[in-house]
Amino acid sequence: MISIKNLTFYYSGGDKPSLRDIDLEIHDGEFVLLTGPSGGGKSSLCRCLNGLIPHFYGGKITGKVEVNGLDVTKHSTKELATMVGMVFQDPENQLVTVDVDRELAFGLENLTFAKEVIARRVEEALDTVGIASLRHRATSELSGGEKQRVAIASVLALYPDILVLDEPTSELDPKGAEDVLNVVERLNDELGITVILVEHRLDRVVAHSDRVIVLEKGMITADGDPRSILSDGRVCQSGVGIPPIIKLAQAVKSKDNLIDNTPLTVKEGRITLAKTLRHSKPFASRHSEHPSLSLRAEGVAIPRPFAIAQGDNKESVIASETKQSHLKPLIEVKKLWHVYPDGFVAVKGIDLKVCPGEFVAIMGRNASGKTTLVKHFNGLLKPTKGDVVLDDINTKEATVAELSRKVGYVFQNPNDHLFCNTVEEELAFTLNNLEVQGEEAKPLIKQTLERFDLMQYRYQYPRFLSGGEKQRVALASILVAQPQVIILDEPTRGMEYRLKAELMKFLDQYRIDGRAVILVTQDVEIAAEFSDRVVLLSEGKIVVDGPKREVLSRALLFSPQINRLAQALRSYGIPGDILTADEMIEALA
Amino acid sequence: MVSYKYSDKGTVIHRLNPWCKLAWIVSVCILALLFDNPIYLLLLSLSTLPVILATRAWKEWLSVMKFAFFLCLLIIVINALVSNQGSHVLYQFPVTIPIAGAPRITLEGILWGVGNSLRLLAIISAFTVLMFAIHPDDLMLAMVKAKLPCKSVMVTSLSTKFVPTLIDDAQCIADAKKSRGLELDKGGRIQRVKSYASIAIPLLSNSLDRAVQVAEAMESRAFGSGGKRTFYKELKLSKVDITILSFVFFSIAFGIFLRCSGQGGYQYYPIVEAVSLTASEWAMLFVLLLLVNAMPILALLKRKVSLD
Repeated sequence: MISIKNLTFYYSGGDKPSLRDIDLEIHDGEFVLLTGPSGGGKSSLCRCLNGLIPHFYGGKITGKVEVNGLDVTKHSTKELATMVGMVFQDPENQLVTVDVDRELAFGLENLTFAKEVIARRVEEALDTVGIASLRHRATSELSGGEKQRVAIASVLALYPDILVLDEPTSELDPKGAEDVLNVVERLNDELGITVILVEHRLDRVVAHSDRVIVLEKGMITADGDPRSILSDGRVCQSGVGIPPIIKLAQAVKSKDNLIDNTPLTVKEGRITLAKTLRHSKPFASRHSEHPSLSLRAEGVAIPRPFAIAQGDNKESVIASETKQSHLKPLIEVKKLWHVYPDGFVAVKGIDLKVCPGEFVAIMGRNASGKTTLVKHFNGLLKPTKGDVVLDDINTKEATVAELSRKVGYVFQNPNDHLFCNTVEEELAFTLNNLEVQGEEAKPLIKQTLERFDLMQYRYQYPRFLSGGEKQRVALASILVAQPQVIILDEPTRGMEYRLKAELMKFLDQYRIDGRAVILVTQDVEIAAEFSDRVVLLSEGKIVVDGPKREVLSRALLFSPQINRLAQALRSYGIPGDILTADEMIEALA
Repeated sequence: MVSYKYSDKGTVIHRLNPWCKLAWIVSVCILALLFDNPIYLLLLSLSTLPVILATRAWKEWLSVMKFAFFLCLLIIVINALVSNQGSHVLYQFPVTIPIAGAPRITLEGILWGVGNSLRLLAIISAFTVLMFAIHPDDLMLAMVKAKLPCKSVMVTSLSTKFVPTLIDDAQCIADAKKSRGLELDKGGRIQRVKSYASIAIPLLSNSLDRAVQVAEAMESRAFGSGGKRTFYKELKLSKVDITILSFVFFSIAFGIFLRCSGQGGYQYYPIVEAVSLTASEWAMLFVLLLLVNAMPILALLKRKVSLD
């Protein structure tokens, strides 16, 4: 049991409190979802629960935090380790040994348990988390999801009553995230461990939680059961990513009062919507007037898993090509192969054209060759075989610096971009490399700073800005050169919904003047909402390439929540290729 | 591309007790420092090869040795330039430096550099076994058992673990810089230093962030919580391990005996000595080298024993 009274906390040197007047009680066995905009104090609150605040971070703390009756200011993190297990965001930075089994033993060794006890608990933890098969592997060889499960097992070996997870999935691919969340849910269900989970993406976990707490500017602005919190309009305003299914339910609810409760899962949504549809007039006649939505879905129902394998998308590939054929492609990839020095064949004979005005999402599992492919577009990697032609320049014959005039590449971690003393210098640096200097550069810099709403930070040290702001500076530092093609590698990973939406809207604008946007992402909802073409890679080959509607509907793993709903409701005349909540609302209207 | 990470190749050497390997490395170092005769040093360097081959880490060894050769070249050149004691003058510089006198290159100066390079090669070659054939966690455990302070050992072990991460990080930052039009290898020397500095700054701050995160994670799992740390895995000494250890100690003792009885010495200055050995000296040297190689031979035995 956790009890927090009047907690206020300042980081040392901070003039604003990171946590302000927090009053909170969390009971044994609860599954609490902690969410809110970045910089809202979620991580700080987590760190209060095991004494990292104030013992590790220092700072000024007032009020009382008690865990199982122990005051965290009086008991060290080490003493609390057997009560509160902490799992952090970055799987890389919390594993300290070479082997998995020793990683699990690490905490127990520190607490001077006898060898026999350690051996038993390591076995238990391996089995509880279901990673017994990994026990002799080296931690450095594991995937992100596996590492995160090892991290969970390693705190679980200490028998904690409470598990605190600070954005455990934000660095993971969807499959890894799913594995981790499954484990967390099971620990809560079967062992009754209290779970406090910090998450941006609610769609996957909200159904399993007992309670949602929203933290904003260091204060708790909402606290209650998930249905009531998420159907509360004010929460949506705060930048919390409301799952599309709830957004849809809200819209339907406001029209007619047939929906009595808020659906949290696709299943609940299906049942609720089916009920609504049964009560109202048939839709089939109405939406046929709707030109934007096709009725193809009403035809023969192809079993979904086979939809891609049967190649019924060939048609659509051709369609997208003919649509763009009058334009000269900006990027042309011809039979591209790439073999890394260690012999790993990452890209196997890819052909691809990207035309001006396109917004292409490149999707696929981890290690499917997405990043390898796009790194060829600005010459960071050169083809082992085949060619990449960029606006008449073969990338083999140009340096990355020369290509950077035409292609901008934004890396996932904005910290890798930033090194100048001020935000303004950061932009000037790029222009300077391209030999745009002095008076010529000034208006460009000013214009770009304004566009990204960075004028107020122009003289600040970029690395001290918040995550979202840093991302904007990184983007601005690329776009100030106005490249014709912009590539973004997983820009939305771990980003809150509001920032994601802003970024995407900007990119949507950017491509209009004959430019192209290429987005490497594993975020299906983002691809569904903002891209217009999806390229799905697997094992270095293109599996499908076509308009998003063709690729993302009727796919199993790579289909957005709303599409799964639409699929199930086809018998009610809902088109099967709806991808977003807005489209669904339109179709129902 | 050679990765400098430990990987368990499952060879007989990998499965040996880390104490054996550590003792062997120490023995090679002691012997290399004990003898001066270049024949002894050359053969000692070569006698590390069977162990390297047995660990199947020759690719990694080769890349380390490339660096070692470069280092040796540097030693030979600098020593030849600086030392002017020898009597076979090969080249006399036409200038005089105050206090230091007239610099000249002598045969003795060059040979001294070569001889000591062999010494260095033997030591570096032995240390590759530490890098590529001792499990870092085992090494840490051995160090703690050797009564070194646990926290310092842990920190050292951790810092080696993060070297590959650091290399990836640097690559990523360099890529980001290049994508912003920076030509890393263009311009004069000052320009290039500046370009590379632009990588160092984000690399350093990323590493500091990482260090804080690792510390947090360790703290949360009760690292350094007083009391004597226990260990999940013990370093068990099998009979074969003990036999190997005794052979290693014997090789050191035998080396000291040889040196004390006047073998293996050598004088470079003022006139370089002849390097011929007598038949009995050859025989003794051969025995010594055999003792140095007792480890890989006996390790094969261990495989047999563990299969029984």
